[in-house]
Amino acid sequence: MNVGEGDVVALLGANGAGKSTTLRAITGGVKWDGSISFAGKSLNRASTESIVRMGIAHVPEGRGILTELTVDENLRLGTYLRRDRQNVAKDYDRIFGYFPILRERRGLSASTLSGGEQQMLALARALLMRPKLLLLDEPSLGLAPLVVRSIFDIIRTVNETDHVAVLLVEQNARIALELSSRAYVLEVGRVAVEGTSANLQNQESVRRSYLGY
Amino acid sequence: MSEFLQQIFSGLATGGIYASLALALVLIYNAMGLVNFAQGEMAMFATFIAFSLISHGVDYWIAFPIALAIAFVGGIVIQRVIIRPVERAPVLTLVIVTLGLASLIDGVAGFLYGYVPRSVPSPFSVETISLFGAVASWQDLGIIGVSAVVLVLIYLLLQRTTLGLALRASAFHPEPSRLLGIRVTWMLALGWGLASAVGAVSGIMVAPVLLLTPTMMQTVIIYAFAAAVLGGIESPLGAVIGGLTVGVVVNLAGAYIPGVGGDLQLAVAFLIIIGVLVIKPNGLLGRRATRRV
Repeated sequence: MNVGEGDVVALLGANGAGKSTTLRAITGGVKWDGSISFAGKSLNRASTESIVRMGIAHVPEGRGILTELTVDENLRLGTYLRRDRQNVAKDYDRIFGYFPILRERRGLSASTLSGGEQQMLALARALLMRPKLLLLDEPSLGLAPLVVRSIFDIIRTVNETDHVAVLLVEQNARIALELSSRAYVLEVGRVAVEGTSANLQNQESVRRSYLGY
Repeated sequence: MSEFLQQIFSGLATGGIYASLALALVLIYNAMGLVNFAQGEMAMFATFIAFSLISHGVDYWIAFPIALAIAFVGGIVIQRVIIRPVERAPVLTLVIVTLGLASLIDGVAGFLYGYVPRSVPSPFSVETISLFGAVASWQDLGIIGVSAVVLVLIYLLLQRTTLGLALRASAFHPEPSRLLGIRVTWMLALGWGLASAVGAVSGIMVAPVLLLTPTMMQTVIIYAFAAAVLGGIESPLGAVIGGLTVGVVVNLAGAYIPGVGGDLQLAVAFLIIIGVLVIKPNGLLGRRATRRV
């Protein structure tokens, strides 16, 4: 499996196929055999913290919101590793441009946010990390179609303007294939189908047997 | 009336001592969901270090920060060497480990310094001044002042700095914090160091009032438990309010309820613990047990 610089790759498959586990393996959340490397460096035995410091932001299953803290504190932790203060200020403006609601909610406890707002917060926080690679685990989960649409638009914009590579795990294959350039379909832990997203969308047999639409 | 005020002042002074130790308990409770039963012994040991420095001619106000710094490093070392290997063990195992740690420190202190009670000089004069019509001792006011400074510093560290933010994040949400690049295991060790230093303040402040022996903190820790439980074991601010309340209530009970003075004061602390657990199990500022999922 391979994600190129600035690529958007979708990771599809049924529940239990191992999509989230793949992401967690990349950031050191589960033990694995084999080889994973990022920007030429092996991630074998690296701690989660050091993998993240290499430029990988992971929005995990359940979004990883720190509900004990405020919205603002969550965002500040997105900049925890950054030393370029001036650019951080600009990035804040930008994410508040994408997600105006977060500016309004800044002082509130993150636990008071709705599901969609929490997803926005998770994504905004990940963007503040200025990653080279963004791992997104089911950004559409539990959200209204309109919210999903706007979140995916923002992912696309970020990918296009900053050339952030994205590895996207999704149940919603249709919207994931629209956004991605390539896709892998997992079936109980192995890659069953791979190809360009356009190709996968057009193959009816693949759509029927693996993607469910 | 003036006697009543006087009792309040000295209650606040002992309360400040309980508050520091209770805050130490809360810091570790938040980081690992566990009460550190060795907190009092760690504070006692730091007090012995301060005492040795002072008896070797070091000025009190130089010995004090040195002892706190040693306590800080000691707390980190204890976390890395003793606690970390059993970090993921069941709570009961951890409780036994901290109890073992307590008797270990107790034994080492006894071996090094003996069990003869020593009187520790106080940096504050025992003279009194008149305040709001009541008589207050410099000793009490000094303890209140030092505790207040320490507690405010801890508050500022936790609430106003990035380090404090990372400490809180690591304590409440270790896994998501790792994904933000925070070195969580180091933050937990730092939390132990911080707790150890804050606890040491209580030991050093209480030593001139009691006498310094390896068992000096064994009653103080009970009051600190009462304070932490009263405040809601998860809340640093609660620990401070709880500490001051316990100090004042116990002192007033000792002064005004016939028969309580002296030996039965500890029973008041137990009454507070039991009362809180029965009436308001989450304490004054604790979170409700129900969580949004």
